[in-house]
Amino acid sequence: MREVYIIGVGLHPFGRFGEKDVIEIGREAVVAALADAGVEWKKVEAAYCGTVFAGPMAGNKVLARVGLTGIPIMNLENACASGGSALRAAYQAVAGGFCDTALAFGFEKMPRGFIAGNPNDWFATMGLAVNPQYFALKARWHMANFGTTEDHLVKVSVKNHRNGALNPFAMYRKEMSYDEIANSQMVNDPLRLLMLCAPNEGGAAVVLSTKEIANRVTTKPVKLAAVVLDSPLYGTVEVPHISVSARVEAPTVTTTASREAYEAAGIGPEDLDLVELQDTDSASELIYTEEIGLCERGEAARLLDRGATEITGRIPVNVSGGLLSKGEPLGASALAQVVEVTWQLRGESGARQVKDARAGLTHVYGAYGNCAVSILLR
Amino acid sequence: MNSNHHLYFITMSQPAKKQVPIKEGLFEVLEDGPHLVGSRCRECGEVTFPANAFCPQCCTETMVNVPLGRRGTLYSFTVQRFKPPPPYKGSEPFAPYGVGMIELPEGLRVTAVLEEDDPTRLQVGMEMELVIASLFEDAEGNELLGYRFRSVKDGPQDESVSR
Repeated sequence: MREVYIIGVGLHPFGRFGEKDVIEIGREAVVAALADAGVEWKKVEAAYCGTVFAGPMAGNKVLARVGLTGIPIMNLENACASGGSALRAAYQAVAGGFCDTALAFGFEKMPRGFIAGNPNDWFATMGLAVNPQYFALKARWHMANFGTTEDHLVKVSVKNHRNGALNPFAMYRKEMSYDEIANSQMVNDPLRLLMLCAPNEGGAAVVLSTKEIANRVTTKPVKLAAVVLDSPLYGTVEVPHISVSARVEAPTVTTTASREAYEAAGIGPEDLDLVELQDTDSASELIYTEEIGLCERGEAARLLDRGATEITGRIPVNVSGGLLSKGEPLGASALAQVVEVTWQLRGESGARQVKDARAGLTHVYGAYGNCAVSILLR
Repeated sequence: MNSNHHLYFITMSQPAKKQVPIKEGLFEVLEDGPHLVGSRCRECGEVTFPANAFCPQCCTETMVNVPLGRRGTLYSFTVQRFKPPPPYKGSEPFAPYGVGMIELPEGLRVTAVLEEDDPTRLQVGMEMELVIASLFEDAEGNELLGYRFRSVKDGPQDESVSR
């Protein structure tokens, strides 16, 4: 296995862009990443595209607007982990010696409102295929068992919107007050509207290369030390779940993917300087904070209370504003986390810069438990 | 003969409302009432719902169908406050409904719609029981049936539906 480096990153802002074509959203992200990498498109040897709603062959449609070079183009759909899956495929291609440069990109223009269920699923017809419902069931359980309160759920959203106000690529880019969040419409008790992320539009792209190329084209190479994609073991609660074992308690997919990523990167959670994780809702941020190993199980609310997850804290979480402030374009969200951590490790994050950041972790989790975790080092 | 023919005509043109489960094999009504139909692994003993041929733990085709216990305890809950996107179908206009995970004696937790929509009347650990509920009427005029859980202390509200 060869070491893999990130040499270029690019984003199309997250938000709503009217009639703008989704293929154009993807193209702008790719062009930004290529410009950042300082490599010609003709030098890229393989491309991996993650998207859920952009339709068949969306990656080919985007890259046709950048130029036809004959390289392999893979189109991947893996729900919220689509972008993370594209990154893993690109990482494996370079690490395995199949190519020296590879592109991972993702983009989305999602329908407004809550994500619809599969028309063939009887449980969706019964009203049991609503994502926030599952987040709420996990949230209630966490509250009943660990003393997490509605106050904590509000505070996660306050923090992430405060961070997002500093991020020009975020959807909302404004702070939201405690009262505004605490009094927003109840969606799925205990989760209120401003404790949930919005599906939206956006794009992200990352150019990977060997160490040799990275050292040639950039003075700020960032090492992609691990990219893990796991599906869940039997005995964990996933989205959706019609039933789950009460006898078998397996480690969650976030737990297994994080452990594998730490092992591959040769570091532990105590070595991280920042984490971007799947805050589809306030409670999920707390639950994944624990599962990634930033604190003991049940202790995430205490970590939050101490301010440890603030930009200036011991282990900043979602300094980009997270999905709560950025919104979640499924194919782009994981790659945008990697873009954020890359900027942070290069020291290019301006007002939201984590001081002397050297190691960061990204995490996405999606339907049927697909989970992607990556670790970046400088 | 004419009258018989007439009767036949009426029966065909105005059939009685037919009750149809939302999916075959999810539940059955036994002497003591309705039960969800799960499956138990002959090797490891794990029970899943809905019934499945393969055991998700052993990864072998070792499952046999079993009726699940009618009562369990509430493990977690929420209230669905907005109308879910398609393909959801329910009563019109939309009314919020509770959703819970109910832990059954066979060692599994089933996610289900609850008869209760007031979160202050729901509590983790409370005893729940299965009911068969009328969900909606389809284009052919069939009454679609599904499963729900209600608090045991609420007791039966409609004997004809629940037993």
